[in-house]
Amino acid sequence: MAFLWILLAAFIAACALGVVLSRSPITSAVSLLAGFLGVGILYLCLRAEFVAAAQVLVYAGGIMVLYLIGVMFTDSEALRLTRQAHFQAWPAFFLVLALFLWMGHRLYRSEFTAEPPVLRVAVAAGADQEASAKTALAERAGLAKESNPRQVSVALFRDFLYPFEAASVLLTVAVLGGVFLAKKEV
Amino acid sequence: MGTSGLVLLGFLLFCLGVFGVLSRRNFIVVLLSAELIFAGAGINFVAFSDLWRNLTGQVFTVFLIAVAAGEAAVGLGLLVALYRLKHSANVDAARDLKG
Repeated sequence: MAFLWILLAAFIAACALGVVLSRSPITSAVSLLAGFLGVGILYLCLRAEFVAAAQVLVYAGGIMVLYLIGVMFTDSEALRLTRQAHFQAWPAFFLVLALFLWMGHRLYRSEFTAEPPVLRVAVAAGADQEASAKTALAERAGLAKESNPRQVSVALFRDFLYPFEAASVLLTVAVLGGVFLAKKEV
Repeated sequence: MGTSGLVLLGFLLFCLGVFGVLSRRNFIVVLLSAELIFAGAGINFVAFSDLWRNLTGQVFTVFLIAVAAGEAAVGLGLLVALYRLKHSANVDAARDLKG
């Protein structure tokens, strides 16, 4: 089992490397598509079925098509023959490598406990809040018997209704902004 | 793979995305690298959602996908505007503000 996890992680990392390092933007886009499918499989393995479906439908189905249209619109042989790396590539490489080694070392050595933080905070705050946190946890345990998309929809439409509506406003504004920017006379 | 492995994978995607944003000259590849950063954040959310049996991380990932879609729409609008003005998808072509 551990072998399969490492294989999946290596696949996602290789796809990400392909996005950053390949010369042709179409190879980058297809590599990112494969990486998104790998991330979708990872979400499935982490029991996040709804997010996995959204990842594949929205990313692999929607966003990647947008990017491929962008590639089709701008890609040319002349562009591919020019230098692909910015002059700041090497400084950026060493900066990111240092960040990865320093932060990655700390992340790898840190231990993440399975105790939900809400209970920990409630215990610190007092008995009254601890009781309400425990009812919330019990409710969550009852909900855990339901299927994942049902749980996510309950959370999305009950606890996160206002952010959900705000996201619809954000998407409308993004579409209007995209059309406005791409118009003939800017 | 435990949570620290997943967090490390997300951080690797984040680092590669930052490197791509900083080092590539093609605007499309810069946008694709930004998507890598989003994917790294999403892996973190879902990993902790699984660890703590808490759905908030998954709901946040749904919002993250919505934000990424908005970013893609605006980014492609910018790409088309840049290509129309400069006839190039090179980020260095947009240097009109440089003094």
